[in-house]
Amino acid sequence: MLVGQNGSGKSTLIKILAGYHAPEAGGDATVSGEPLQFGHPETAYHLGCRFVHQDLALIDDLNVLENLFLGTRYPMHWGAIDNRASLRAGQEMIDRVALNVDLRAPISELNASQRTGVAIARALRVDEKYPERVLVLDEPTATLPADEVAALLDTVRVVARQGVAVLFVTHHIEEIFRLGDQVTILRDGVAVHTGPIADLTREGLVAHLTGERQQREVVKAPAVAKAEPRLTIDHLVAPGVRDVSIEVAEGEILGIAGITGSGRETILGAIFGATKRLGGEVVIDGRSVPSGRPDLAIGMGVGFLPPDRKISGSFPTLNAQDNLTVLNIGRFWRGWFLSPKAEEGEAKDWFKRLDVRPLDGTQQRFDSFSGGNQQKILFGKWLSNGPRAFLLDEPTQGVDIGAKGELHRQLISVAASGTSIVISSTDIEELVAICSRVIVMVDGRIDREIVGEDVTEANLTRGFVSNPDG
Amino acid sequence: MNTKKVLNTSLERFSGIYLWVGFIVLFTVWKPNEFFTVSTFHSVATTQAVQGMLALAVLVPLVAGQFDLSVGATANLTGIVAIVAQTMWGWPIWAALLFSVALGFFIGFVNGFVVVRLRVNSFIATLGMGSILSAFLVIVTNSEQPAPVESTFFNNLAQYSVGGISIVVFEMLALALIVYWVLDWTPAGRRLYATGGNSEAARLSGIRVDRVAWVSLVVAGGIAGVAGILFSSLYGPSLSFGPELLLPAFAAAFLGSTQLQPGRFNVWGTLIAIYVLATGVEGLQLVSGQQWLSSMFNGVALILAVALAVGRERRDNSKKVRTRRRPSSAGVESFDEAPVAVLETAEGLETEGPAVVGRAREETGGSHLD
Repeated sequence: MLVGQNGSGKSTLIKILAGYHAPEAGGDATVSGEPLQFGHPETAYHLGCRFVHQDLALIDDLNVLENLFLGTRYPMHWGAIDNRASLRAGQEMIDRVALNVDLRAPISELNASQRTGVAIARALRVDEKYPERVLVLDEPTATLPADEVAALLDTVRVVARQGVAVLFVTHHIEEIFRLGDQVTILRDGVAVHTGPIADLTREGLVAHLTGERQQREVVKAPAVAKAEPRLTIDHLVAPGVRDVSIEVAEGEILGIAGITGSGRETILGAIFGATKRLGGEVVIDGRSVPSGRPDLAIGMGVGFLPPDRKISGSFPTLNAQDNLTVLNIGRFWRGWFLSPKAEEGEAKDWFKRLDVRPLDGTQQRFDSFSGGNQQKILFGKWLSNGPRAFLLDEPTQGVDIGAKGELHRQLISVAASGTSIVISSTDIEELVAICSRVIVMVDGRIDREIVGEDVTEANLTRGFVSNPDG
Repeated sequence: MNTKKVLNTSLERFSGIYLWVGFIVLFTVWKPNEFFTVSTFHSVATTQAVQGMLALAVLVPLVAGQFDLSVGATANLTGIVAIVAQTMWGWPIWAALLFSVALGFFIGFVNGFVVVRLRVNSFIATLGMGSILSAFLVIVTNSEQPAPVESTFFNNLAQYSVGGISIVVFEMLALALIVYWVLDWTPAGRRLYATGGNSEAARLSGIRVDRVAWVSLVVAGGIAGVAGILFSSLYGPSLSFGPELLLPAFAAAFLGSTQLQPGRFNVWGTLIAIYVLATGVEGLQLVSGQQWLSSMFNGVALILAVALAVGRERRDNSKKVRTRRRPSSAGVESFDEAPVAVLETAEGLETEGPAVVGRAREETGGSHLD
């Protein structure tokens, strides 16, 4: 089992094994005693490493058999696909993982654990030249509902019994104890513990995960006196969110934590209107925010910074200035034209305020800036509109440590001036650093609320445990 | 707007103008008595005026990320209707003109409806519309070649001579100025560029992207409508000019995006492109007298223009990656940049799909609930 928090390096490590990253010199890896050549995906395959990534890469419209043979040759007969042989081979593959599905069923009809099962079956495809030795599963239970996790874990046990080594990457502490033999814990890019699971207690595991933190400069948000709620979310229902009610006060920084599938990734979008709500109400300063209307939400003072800068958060091909001023370009209108001087002045102003580098780069293409600077520009975009409620999803993802601190300080100062801030993040450190209150979501609902002094890494990590079941 | 004012006379940004001058010099030397004459220039300017308007018509939706393939047919229909309304239906000239212009806008409105409400891709929607409009062309004229309009006023709409140049050229320039002003100097223009740049980000920034797309198509229809009427004024009734003007309009818009403000559809670049192409064709035709030159030239130009544009995009992307491939001390930053670089090297390797997609997922921080 490989476990670690967000940012610990788990996924990078998997990518290195898969050949997508080349690590810096000095380390090495061997599979069954043979050295693994870094930077070449084929060598991992040749040594018998098979991967099932979090995106299963199954094609919904095709059936199980077709997916099993995706990327490989079918048994052929006289120049055409030998259907009977294919069916036999396919059946062998799914029997091997004790999976009970109809080969002809389209993937779209399978449930999540069955799909993962198909992906595993495919990964374990028999290849005489390069026999399968290691199966790497990257967070396979991330999107599984609790009741299907058991089925998947059984599949993994079957595979292990056949002599295949399984490297199972996960967030879920329960799974480590249910399934694993050995565990390696990563923290900040370092393996801080490796050993048999039998020797570990849950507390010990959590301690390794979070580490004995020095009291580093924790930039904490000041505790907020019980003020009138500015933003009220009432029984919100949306994709991934079953029933959530929250109140956020003026000047408060609220954190939302939760693993993949808990609703954390979709809740802010639903509140803002990026996606339509299925039910419930959102009220800001007494006014109800209509569902699915970003333009109206913005007009009412709600700001939203989506998690994916490149896809929906920014205009990569436009320049920084255009990105900064897009929300309210009308303020530069001078009768019959937009004043370039006024616009540039404002852009330069924000560059200075947020310390965006290079300082004179307001006309440079947005995607030419580093991740941290891009995020600063986007902060400027929203802050320049003076939001009363600012929703941020993964605000410092892909941002270097230095810029991260600066962004956090910005958020604290913005909150101090009265804006309500809600941060949804998988970065526990970040939530602990600046939130005065954190909500933990599990399975689409609020599982618990952690306030003030109790907002610690240990408490938050523990809060992720899904409903323990048989 | 401001980026782009940097007076950088790099070869690329003004390559069109250099090319144009090159053509003029080349053909003047080749056919000194025939090419470099006032009448040649008048002829090129005038024939390209309507073409230029159609290029502007496709430009506006292109900025917003929409393709309008019906502008040729729209122009043809409004051009014919303007004539037929007078000669066959007996309408007074004002009514005919107003109706034709309104028709252009209406066609644009219907295109917008199909794209925004019925959610049909603009390419397909306007392609279909173009075909429908050709059918209407036949209906409206009863399959007969219509008689030309007698009115001098009508003919003067485009032909009136100002200092030896037909007024239509100035009308085109006036239109270009208006479109330029809207695109580069008004908030509406910004919204168009934002919608075309990243419609999802635009939506999340409070832009009503549906409305923007719809309006852009209405505008395209309107401009095409006016262009059609002026064509009729210039040349009389023609049942076939529409389709011929469509491709060069797109060629000019795409070529234009490599000029002046490289990487961005823009008005003046488009006009430069129109005239460069036209000068080239005119010169070649004088030299060789072949009929197929125009089509050949425009086809090659369109392909070259898009290839250049795509080439630039890829160069920009790889430049971006190369400069930030240094491993940063912070380590985490490389999450953002490295995967793109890695993908470039991974291209061409037979890899399992999941690994590639894993990169995309990583950049967006964990898997999504689809």
